[in-house]
Amino acid sequence: MNKVLCSVATRGRYFTTLPLVLQAIINQTTLPDKLVIFDDNDEPKDMRNEMIYQYFFQMLDIKGVKWEWLFAEKKGQHHIHQQANRMGYDWVWRCDDDCIPEPNVLQNLKSYATEIDNVGAVGGAILTPPNLFDTSNVTGKINNICSEPNIQWNHIEKIKEVDHLHCSFLYRAGVHDYNLGLSRVAHREETLFTYGLYQNGYKILAAPHAESLHMKNPEGGIRSETRKEMYEHDEAIFNNIVGLSDRTIVVLNCGLGDHIVFNSILSDIPNPVVFGCYPDVIPCRSIAEAQALFGNIDQYNIYGKMDQWKWTGSLQDAFRKLYL
Amino acid sequence: MIIIHPYAKALINGKQNPKNYAYWKELIYLIDKSIHIVQIGVDGEEQLVDDFRMNLPIIELRQLIKDCRTWISVDSFFQHLAWSEGKPGIVLWSVSDPLIFGHPENTNLLKSRDNLTPNQFLWWDFTEHNPDYFLKPEEVIKFI
Repeated sequence: MNKVLCSVATRGRYFTTLPLVLQAIINQTTLPDKLVIFDDNDEPKDMRNEMIYQYFFQMLDIKGVKWEWLFAEKKGQHHIHQQANRMGYDWVWRCDDDCIPEPNVLQNLKSYATEIDNVGAVGGAILTPPNLFDTSNVTGKINNICSEPNIQWNHIEKIKEVDHLHCSFLYRAGVHDYNLGLSRVAHREETLFTYGLYQNGYKILAAPHAESLHMKNPEGGIRSETRKEMYEHDEAIFNNIVGLSDRTIVVLNCGLGDHIVFNSILSDIPNPVVFGCYPDVIPCRSIAEAQALFGNIDQYNIYGKMDQWKWTGSLQDAFRKLYL
Repeated sequence: MIIIHPYAKALINGKQNPKNYAYWKELIYLIDKSIHIVQIGVDGEEQLVDDFRMNLPIIELRQLIKDCRTWISVDSFFQHLAWSEGKPGIVLWSVSDPLIFGHPENTNLLKSRDNLTPNQFLWWDFTEHNPDYFLKPEEVIKFI
């Protein structure tokens, strides 16, 4: 297992659940290499002036955990997590600011990620007292998301492959992007993210012995927006993506030559639905439609991907890596 | 008949695309006069030969490629289109990397990898055009 970044996005919880979460992270039996707190408060404060936070920072220093307090852009936690996703670490453990991990969570999540091949994300139970849902027959399939509880909403007895996770989990960084087209509430952002990892061929695991307590705090919270249309906007994007779960979504927001090169691998792509700019090269739906359906199409930018991958192979192979 | 595609896509900032070969007139002068040369391109590009066919649809370009003996192009969509038609030709490179954007079936003429732009994946607007980065016509003609 390589380097692990622990990322906490926070808003409105300086003196409620955030200190509990930080204490729980500091008390992990396996520590992350670095802790980053993304402060998304409307009126952020310098917490270095607060004694309790000074203690936290001192404990992190003593334990050799690098830490950083960053002021976020107030665009929602999907932007925050995408920043963490690209900070150059191999894995990111994302913790909500009201979700308190037991001391063994990171240790066990790391061991699953290490010992099982091709893990994209692994998460444990997220228990919200006093509610415990009956998850005995849960499939964890994306198409059942509206008809069954999330497998993380009760104790997890044995490891199970699922399509998606929520709330807090450990994930392989830099291989899939968060959907930045979602609104500030970022409704379903983690579901879409983990489902994207799943679609990229990685295992998504719900794992036992890695439990966190979700102290649902009615005050504050990274999603503390009440505008119904934001949720509706995000739900529509979610439904559009899940509605194409049996298709490979291809977005060619690139040049004519790129379309021609991509065309050479099109027949290898299972059940593609193509959005592009040159229908005379590849039959396709428009880029504007892709933007409207999926909110953000940056994750399909082949040049952005080649830059991220420090690519030295052929353009054709880059398309293969992105879509196969 | 051979095809030439002298110019890569125009840049938004109005500067010369750094992938545009700097010595087309000299190269054309060196080509055997008995060979018919067809230039393809779009409105606004400089005409270099008598037979300049502008704004052809893809289907007509494909047919033209089928009919030609070979072709010479800068790094543009055209090299990909000809490659997709299975017709090898010559690509004149400067700052873009033929190992990434080229096809081994073609003759890829790059003067030096030292001239490649460090980041190959940004807009070409940020790279200056430099005639010294291209092979001279006297060297290119040996491959035609």
